[in-house]
Amino acid sequence: MAKLMDIARVVRGKNAGALQLTLDVMFDDEDTYRRVRDSGVLSPRTIAPLYGVTDNEVAIIPFDVAKAIKITVPRRVRSGSPGDTDVYGAQQHVPLMQIDLPE
Amino acid sequence: MPPIRLMATTGILGYGFTEEAFNAGVAMKPDLIACDAGSTDPGPHYLGSGTAFVSRAAVKRDLGLMVAAGAAHGIPVMIGTAGGSGSDVHVDWVLDILREICAENDLAPKIAVIRTEQSKDRLHEKLAAGKIAPLGPIGELTGADIDDAVRVVAMMGPEAYQEALADGADVVIAGRGTDAALFAALPLMRGADPGLSWHLAKIIECGAQVVEPREGQDCVIGTIYDDHFTVEPGHPDRRCTVTRVSAHTLYENPEPFRLKEPDGTLVTDRCDFEQIEERVVKVSGSRYEPSDTYTVKLEGARQVGFRTVFIAGIRDPILIAGIDDFVRSCRERIQRDVAALGIAPGDFTLSVHLYGKNAVMGELEPQADAPVHELGLLLDVLGRTEDISRAVLAKSRYAFLHTDFPGRMCISGNLAIPFSPSDMHVGPVYEFNIWHVMACDDPMECVRMEWIEPEEARTWRN
Repeated sequence: MAKLMDIARVVRGKNAGALQLTLDVMFDDEDTYRRVRDSGVLSPRTIAPLYGVTDNEVAIIPFDVAKAIKITVPRRVRSGSPGDTDVYGAQQHVPLMQIDLPE
Repeated sequence: MPPIRLMATTGILGYGFTEEAFNAGVAMKPDLIACDAGSTDPGPHYLGSGTAFVSRAAVKRDLGLMVAAGAAHGIPVMIGTAGGSGSDVHVDWVLDILREICAENDLAPKIAVIRTEQSKDRLHEKLAAGKIAPLGPIGELTGADIDDAVRVVAMMGPEAYQEALADGADVVIAGRGTDAALFAALPLMRGADPGLSWHLAKIIECGAQVVEPREGQDCVIGTIYDDHFTVEPGHPDRRCTVTRVSAHTLYENPEPFRLKEPDGTLVTDRCDFEQIEERVVKVSGSRYEPSDTYTVKLEGARQVGFRTVFIAGIRDPILIAGIDDFVRSCRERIQRDVAALGIAPGDFTLSVHLYGKNAVMGELEPQADAPVHELGLLLDVLGRTEDISRAVLAKSRYAFLHTDFPGRMCISGNLAIPFSPSDMHVGPVYEFNIWHVMACDDPMECVRMEWIEPEEARTWRN
């Protein structure tokens, strides 16, 4: 079983404004991209617990042209507000890297 | 339509660019040299405090080169979201730097100043008229939010830039605007396709994000034609690639295909990206859907207290093994110790960050119990007043340094404190409390324009 970090080229996170976190998973080749996109592994049910949100707060949008899958979740704490640990949201991608993918 | 060429010098004014890339870009005879200076990524402090997240020296260097080239070749220079947050005090800061540059180089440009800080009276009127709505997961705006905010800016569209260019501005220093509006303004006013204009603007506004190899910031040149646009780096040894350009369409957007602007939405789902030369990417198929209502985003920040922080290392293995219980007993002790000073629990918050354990992801950290031999301790106190903040931090430091724990051998101290003084006083702390959209009857209603005319026609276009 491969982890997402073993087969993706980019796994990144960043603020999409102060209220949302957006995570991009990008692939080098079309086959790998399609395999992950169509596997259903990147689903709200998988992602929501990793980010402490509910299923319906998770938006998952494949972007074929860029061989990328975008995931957007609300931030639990607004960027830079008391209790935030990552103002830019640049290190919140790690739980995604660990997701196991079916062969 | 003759091609229109735009040069974005860098992602943020003050982040820098190479002179090699800049000079090569200028040699391509752009119709505009511009840079958006803004970002909310560094957090609410900069809007709240009215300061910049880049240095004055860095802004002067970047702006100085841009203005000198603009003057030498008769190319307008535009700066959007001046000072990083684009409030009036930020605009004045950049204007002051511009004046210094002009004085030192004997330049006399015609300057358009565009301000987008909003008065509280006007915001109250708009709120009462039902014209303000949340932008994303935040509550409805209240009158108290407006009153609490230190300053509020509106993120304008391209119209004021267009007015400035139409009226002959040599240099434009603008308040908060959308990153893309700065670059879409000129092609739109010359009749270029709106989808292509907005998409090109969105791609180049972050500077060298679309360039390989990625070695810091640099200049990017976009050229718009009738049915497509091209993107290329200024630097002769770097390249724009389909991967980078298409990936940038996703960057910092909650959605990849749809980018909301004040008067419509850029839609990129049917775009085609093509590597037409080793260094050049061609893009076509971008669309723009006009909206019925003109809306601007509002950003506001309010002060929430005063911060004091403290950093130390923990190396003792017995302490690390029982760290959660230790933090709990320290918290109890701190509560008691500060109560003795008359400080109530509601007067402060104490955050304990354990680097090496879960400081980055907090409760969501999947590997919080992985073995470590060293922990970084960050204590972060937010107090209602500066005095409370300092007092709570001092008591906290003492508690963490000297509180007992089961099996303790290091009875002379629990922490390695790396410097003296150990407590760092950060000062006032802000949070974003306004993150909403406001409907406008007219695109210019959230904008104030001023002109600074040269005293005599001198060097700008000689």
